Amino acid sequence: MDQPRLPRRYDVELVKVTKRYGATVAVDGISLRIPPASYCCLLGPSGCGKTSTLRMIAGHEVISDGDVLIHDQNVTDLPPRERGTAMMFQSYALFPHLNCLDNVAFSLKARGMPKEKRHAKAREYLALVHLDKFAERLPSQLSGGQQQRVALARSLITEPRVLLLDEPLSALDPFLRGKVREELKRFQRELGITFIHVTHSQDEAMALADLMVVMEDGHIRQAGAPREVFERPSSAFVARFIGGHNVLPGPGGAVAVRADRCRLGMPGEGPHVTGRVAAVEYQGTSVRVAVSIGAEEDAAVVVPDDTFYAGPVQPGDAATLVWAEQDAHSLAA
Amino acid sequence: MSRSRDPREKRPWTFYALVTLMGVFLMFLYGPMFVIYLLSFQGPDGGVTFPMVGVSTWWFAEIWKPGQMANIPVSFNRSIALASVVCIITTVVAVAAGLGFRRRFTGSGVLFYLAVASLVMPSLLVGFGIGLAFQLFGWKTDLFTSALAAQLTWTLPFGLFAMFAVFNRFPRSYEEAATDLGATAWQRLRWITLPILMPGILGVAMGAFTLSYDEYARTTLVAGSRNTLPLEIYALLSSSTSPTLFAIGTLTTAVSFCVIGLTLFFILRVQRRRTGHA
Amino acid sequence: MSAVTEAAAIEAAVPARPKRRWRLSSRAVSWLQVSPLAIILIAFFALPTFTFLVVSFYDYDRIGIYPDFLLTNYEEVLSSSMTLRVYLSSLQFAFITWGITLVLGFFIAYFLIFHVRTRTMRTILFLACAIPFWTSGIIRTIAWIPFLGRNGAFNQGLMATGLTQTPLDFLLFSPFAVCITYIHLFTLLMIGPIANSMAKIDPALLEAARDAGASRWQTMVDVVIPLSKTGIALGSILVFTQVMGDFFVVKAMSGGQSASIVSALATEIQAMQYPPAAASAVILVTFVAFMVAGMMRVVDVRKELVR
Repeated sequence: MDQPRLPRRYDVELVKVTKRYGATVAVDGISLRIPPASYCCLLGPSGCGKTSTLRMIAGHEVISDGDVLIHDQNVTDLPPRERGTAMMFQSYALFPHLNCLDNVAFSLKARGMPKEKRHAKAREYLALVHLDKFAERLPSQLSGGQQQRVALARSLITEPRVLLLDEPLSALDPFLRGKVREELKRFQRELGITFIHVTHSQDEAMALADLMVVMEDGHIRQAGAPREVFERPSSAFVARFIGGHNVLPGPGGAVAVRADRCRLGMPGEGPHVTGRVAAVEYQGTSVRVAVSIGAEEDAAVVVPDDTFYAGPVQPGDAATLVWAEQDAHSLAA
Repeated sequence: MSRSRDPREKRPWTFYALVTLMGVFLMFLYGPMFVIYLLSFQGPDGGVTFPMVGVSTWWFAEIWKPGQMANIPVSFNRSIALASVVCIITTVVAVAAGLGFRRRFTGSGVLFYLAVASLVMPSLLVGFGIGLAFQLFGWKTDLFTSALAAQLTWTLPFGLFAMFAVFNRFPRSYEEAATDLGATAWQRLRWITLPILMPGILGVAMGAFTLSYDEYARTTLVAGSRNTLPLEIYALLSSSTSPTLFAIGTLTTAVSFCVIGLTLFFILRVQRRRTGHA
Repeated sequence: MSAVTEAAAIEAAVPARPKRRWRLSSRAVSWLQVSPLAIILIAFFALPTFTFLVVSFYDYDRIGIYPDFLLTNYEEVLSSSMTLRVYLSSLQFAFITWGITLVLGFFIAYFLIFHVRTRTMRTILFLACAIPFWTSGIIRTIAWIPFLGRNGAFNQGLMATGLTQTPLDFLLFSPFAVCITYIHLFTLLMIGPIANSMAKIDPALLEAARDAGASRWQTMVDVVIPLSKTGIALGSILVFTQVMGDFFVVKAMSGGQSASIVSALATEIQAMQYPPAAASAVILVTFVAFMVAGMMRVVDVRKELVR
């Protein structure tokens, strides 16, 4: 503690972490390193183990095997209050019998801070989330978005090293979702701590994350910057889950091609596959044409709207999906 | 389950049939009791059935006359005292047990079925067993030993199952949030769990008090020489029937109503504070 | 670095876990929390039950009881014709009461949960049904006497409206009065558990059934009843055991026309004939235990109550 320390390389490290519930393995020996002050999103379908992982980092689930390190400290056996983490619950879990001020000040009360001091500090944090006028209100008197901000203030007052968010945007309506997303990113930048955010929405993850972790079935399938995962998905699962990709047959195995880099054309214009138009979906700036290309295979082409309406197609029409060689990314598995 | 519906939406005929059923049932429940309340104001020359011969509070006054076969005021005090003790013990033990049952532990099945058995066991047999055991040990049965024990076998299962219902509606996330924010187990219990569950706990307390106050089947063999109010009433029944009995009935029911009313008042107060009449 | 050496390097670099303060395991905490309940139930319920089990084998005479291991008490009880009569009588009451309280309780619970729209109204109505339960059972029982008697309110009302010329005699001090009183006392024991089960039914299920073309009756039979099985079972257990274990209502309301198992037992206890009383008690407990176990096979009560 006295020697000058090297700046640490990672804020959070998971080393072969496993979670078992009886005979089922929810999380299977995953390892992950999260750099300091980064926004990390755990992304995956339901049941992939992302929430279990989050709760293990928080200390709300016992770790079956492996180690969790936070700021180079092994916290695997420590209770939540000693880990330096704070969690924002999906339902916010604001204490219904306490007003906002007491909710935010709760952690300070638990530490024994006298009333005057903790109320003053709580007001500061409420002001940070622009809710200082609502200090006396009860949670039941607030809207969903306001409740979330109180929950955020309540978590941040503990000055955590890592903030853990369990699907924070799922309960919000789409308009509010965008606003709150921006605020979350802004907070993370200003506070300079790591946020770990669990979501099943790839749009959300790509918009927010510095490090995106795609999980399936208790394993990490790919971890990297959003751009890297999107441009170079490591498997067919990741390509499909991340959206906007087609998994197509290539000369050396399956390849992933971005849907907007495919187009409807003729055989002979390069790598292609034939099929039938299954659906046409107008999306404003573009049109998504779903093409069925085999027994169970589906692909989609995202066509700019003017291009589409210059030569529209209809469901049932024969179609040929064409792409360029350099846009095809080979899939390992 | 209350979805806002157009209040003008027509009700099916079954609704009216059921409303009638509900009304008849409520009359069925309260009718005989009202007859008793009326008859307790019977005139001094009246008997135990209609017609009413004048209206008076004569029979109420009879209760306090000394030298009756029964001693109502004293047994009333005993009932209240015993009920208070039962209430406190039941509430504390039931809340603690309810907390414990939230996790699986070896023996939880046995204990659960033991509580069910205690609830469904014919009441007199419980008193019989306790009285017999006391006799074999050479102890004297008494109000605050054997009678208390017998009543607890009745109130505790009720309290326990009520706490199950209360905990079922209590989201675990509140307690996890408290732990996350740094509360120790005691702090979490004192500041979060118990306050949020207070309405349910008040209900359990009220239930325990009134069940004890009215209890006679389990208590009758083991009360010793000091009777509770229900036992005094029971003794009075076999000796005489006069409107005094009805007057006692009216009064004791009034006491029950007071206890229930007070509890409802406190519960509503707690809930109103939470939905923000801050 | 190859993947293998990198993994090894990561594992080697993991700092040691700090020594953890000693903490009670969560199972130990649970044990501590349920121990008062366990101690009280074992001491005041299990042991006394065991006591009269043991005493049922004792010998006795007019002076006292003597430890022994005799089966004579059981032989006497089981071979007596009065035992059979009294069991049949109690069972009859139990079944009639159970049937009526079930139908009544079911429909009232159905009304409260599915027809009443506002939560406030539902709470008020439920309280109205429940409050009499929290008052004295003795008073509620004897309240029927002035109501049903020859000069009672009911008869007077009937005669006043001209429905009958002479007062109906069978109303009071008869099996009818006993049943009416049982229904009065115990219907809430049905309403409570059944309403609790019904409240857990997702209303969308009923709408789905209606959408699929089921009539309201079919919906009730095919959706509501199966999903309220637990409540029905629980209510049935409660009503059944209360009737089988009753001694007061029969005594007060039947006018000597009927007997109950427990009041016969009470007589023996008054006479200090503890061993045969204990034998009767064991037989009754066994009988009730079988019935309850049978009803609990229908539904896993524990799973429903304790989450």
